[in-house]
Amino acid sequence: MTFRTTRRAALAGIGALAAAPRALAQGAGQVVLYTSNPAQAVEVVMDVAAKAMAGTKISTVTGGSGQLLRRMEAEAARPQADVFWTSSANTLGQFKQLFEPYKPAGLSAMPAALHHPQDLWAPANQHICVLMVNTKQLGGLPAPRTYADILHPRFKGKLIIADPANSSTAYTILWGIERMLGADGLKALAQNIRVTASAPTVFRSVGQGEFPVGLTFESNAYTYVAGGQKEIALVYPEDGTFTTTEFYSLVKGAPNAATAKRLCDLFASKELQTALLEIAFRRPTRSDIEVGKYVQLPEMTKVKVFATDEEDAAAQRTAFLARWAALVAAAN
Amino acid sequence: MRQELRSVWFWISLAVLALLCVFLVYPVARIFLASIGGPAGAGSGWSIIASDIRYQRAIANTLLLGGAVTTVSLAIGVPLAYLTARHDYPGKSVVSILPLVTLVTPEVIVAQTWLMMLGNNGLLRRWLLEAGLELPSFYGWFGLVTSMSFIYYAYAYIGTLAAIRGFDAQLEEAARSLGASPLRARLQVMVPVVLPAILASALLVFTLVVGNFALSMILGGGIDLLSVKTYQAAVSETSSNPVLQSTLASVSISIVMSMLFLQRWIVSRGRFEVVQGRGAAPTRLRGPGALALASAAGIVVAISLLPIASVVAGAFTLSRGPVMRWGQWTTANLERVLSRSPEPLWNTLSYAGAATAIAILLSAIIGYLVVRRRNPVTPLIDYVTALPLALSGTALGIGLIHAFNVGWLPLTGTAAIIVLAYVIRRLPFGLRSASSTLYNIPRSIEEASISLGVPPGRTFLRVVLPLMVPALAAAAVLTWTTTVAELSASIIVYSGGRETIPIQVFKLIEGGLMAQASAYGLVLVAVILVPIVVATRVFRIDLFSSRA
Repeated sequence: MTFRTTRRAALAGIGALAAAPRALAQGAGQVVLYTSNPAQAVEVVMDVAAKAMAGTKISTVTGGSGQLLRRMEAEAARPQADVFWTSSANTLGQFKQLFEPYKPAGLSAMPAALHHPQDLWAPANQHICVLMVNTKQLGGLPAPRTYADILHPRFKGKLIIADPANSSTAYTILWGIERMLGADGLKALAQNIRVTASAPTVFRSVGQGEFPVGLTFESNAYTYVAGGQKEIALVYPEDGTFTTTEFYSLVKGAPNAATAKRLCDLFASKELQTALLEIAFRRPTRSDIEVGKYVQLPEMTKVKVFATDEEDAAAQRTAFLARWAALVAAAN
Repeated sequence: MRQELRSVWFWISLAVLALLCVFLVYPVARIFLASIGGPAGAGSGWSIIASDIRYQRAIANTLLLGGAVTTVSLAIGVPLAYLTARHDYPGKSVVSILPLVTLVTPEVIVAQTWLMMLGNNGLLRRWLLEAGLELPSFYGWFGLVTSMSFIYYAYAYIGTLAAIRGFDAQLEEAARSLGASPLRARLQVMVPVVLPAILASALLVFTLVVGNFALSMILGGGIDLLSVKTYQAAVSETSSNPVLQSTLASVSISIVMSMLFLQRWIVSRGRFEVVQGRGAAPTRLRGPGALALASAAGIVVAISLLPIASVVAGAFTLSRGPVMRWGQWTTANLERVLSRSPEPLWNTLSYAGAATAIAILLSAIIGYLVVRRRNPVTPLIDYVTALPLALSGTALGIGLIHAFNVGWLPLTGTAAIIVLAYVIRRLPFGLRSASSTLYNIPRSIEEASISLGVPPGRTFLRVVLPLMVPALAAAAVLTWTTTVAELSASIIVYSGGRETIPIQVFKLIEGGLMAQASAYGLVLVAVILVPIVVATRVFRIDLFSSRA
């Protein structure tokens, strides 16, 4: 008899354990955030929201942006998510039916060029492509200053980038280089560069000294500088570099729409954008935050940007990936 | 036949077989089918592999790596086993904990440790560099062979140790009294008896290398490997190719299956059988030679223990983002893991708990059917339950996704598919201990109960099951320890918000956040060790009797 009771108790215990996270998420003033951002950035949001939206319980579901958007698509009949944070305009463009137009308070502080005409999504942060250089591993080579520099054969085997088929960062960079330096430039780069399948390998292996130069986003590379690793330097190529903006959106049919709108306002607020810059090194989209005051990154206005057409890049994706794969195969 | 139709066990057997067909045979069949039949015009996966040198290179590299790791593992494990079986030396009791250490150390943590020590920014590497010694890069062959050999040698060790202990030392004495020199006696008498066990463990190591995911992924560097290519084809963020991933998984399954058949054949062909062997009494080693041997064994053990030690150190080391501040201590990493983001812990506990319960229940029922209630269906069940041994976690994950993505049973995106993957992967191990204990329970007890008028079903519940409880408890603990550390299948089938600790550690290592990864790693080690300590100390369950 005692055996039965303990077994029942144990089963009840297992059940309670499985249900615990859900039980915690219940209650008034809650909002569900689907996010593709790393834990470090999500925690900043939690910290700021704990003060700015006191009493609101924010639950997060994390994953790749494509993965999450497909899940939202599957849930469209009964949406589970309230807010999606973040992806590029191109990716979001394929899922327009999932979003609800909303104009967050604070949008007016951002450049008009970044606004969506119907406010289906709002700009969250901006990425700048950089050369992440490990000066200890250069072995006497001069540090590159431009994208044209790294095409030189002396950089053969010294460069690393992610596979553009898996990484939108790599796609932005390689697409931009082909626009800026032409087909020959891309070909020369393919001769020199090592392609890795997973995007984080790029900055991790430069940080760990595996490769002297990695092509990645500023926010990834800067974590090593901020962590105090002195040999890591960020080079903003003087011939111009590429930028891309990440956007967030209110989900259509969001179960907690009122709270969700407050969270959308928070993402556009000076307070949260400053905190994300300071702690997660996300470059703000608001024009009224002086970047240099919080981190040792240059102002956007000081960086030479080579403009590319993101819609064009998305439209020609398949053809470009095939071109790049052929160049890489020929180089090996 | 008619009599069988009336037996309740026959119907239970059929139900079990149906269950296995749906959740095990069907996914595997889907993998093979998908590899042949591509969408119209796309051609089969086999033609892609045949035309792309990278995939052929990946297969060749995998086989080469398997060969290299097997060789090194044998070179470490076999002498260590011989030394331990035949001699006493200082520190021998420490060596006996080896199986425990390899069993409880999740591979992600092993990979992380080697990187923290010998990675390009590693502690040991920097010391050696200051001393003027530059090692080759740890990413690639050096790291793969080293890290895998220092885990898998334990299988060679355990297998060989059992064989040498079972060898009758009197045979050797007989050979010597017939005039053979000590060396010749050993080579000609002992080697033929022990060799099948060594070969069997060599093949086991080989199959483990082929299926290895965590170490291949983290330490592989620029080397194309089958398991890595398969995983990448499965989870590619933007375009996943169902044909290619199935074909690569099929290649892996075929390699492992042929190895398993070879292994069975070798074991069945063992020409010499020792009946009631009396192992030789260990002789005590003395002098400087003994000290050298003992310290060699000690070094092997120390390297095996290093992962646990470095996880503890890493978990308490201050970090700023990806940069570790060695020598500055903090509890912030653990606080963050336990208070801020404990979801992976809850997920791990609930999924592994459910999977262990289901796997043990199934093991008890299937074990009983196969050993005690033979009928025309049970041999089929026996074959099918061995199938998971041929599936690498990656291959299983792909099969489950293909089988249960959409259609009549959409499990993708639920917790159930993770639990299912756990149950399938660990079922053969639980089953093995359930059946081996059943062979030791006298049939007469059961028959007595039935002849006293207790129906067979109740006899199973009231008589047989209680006798099986100690073995099942041991199996449950072992299933639990290996399930909470499972990565390769769960990382394919999990969905956002359902991360387990190994998945979280894998992601953090990938992002370079070693301190946080160590903190989760420490929690994982605790989750693994607590049940083992409770089982062995409080309930006095002998966990490793069936393995050693």
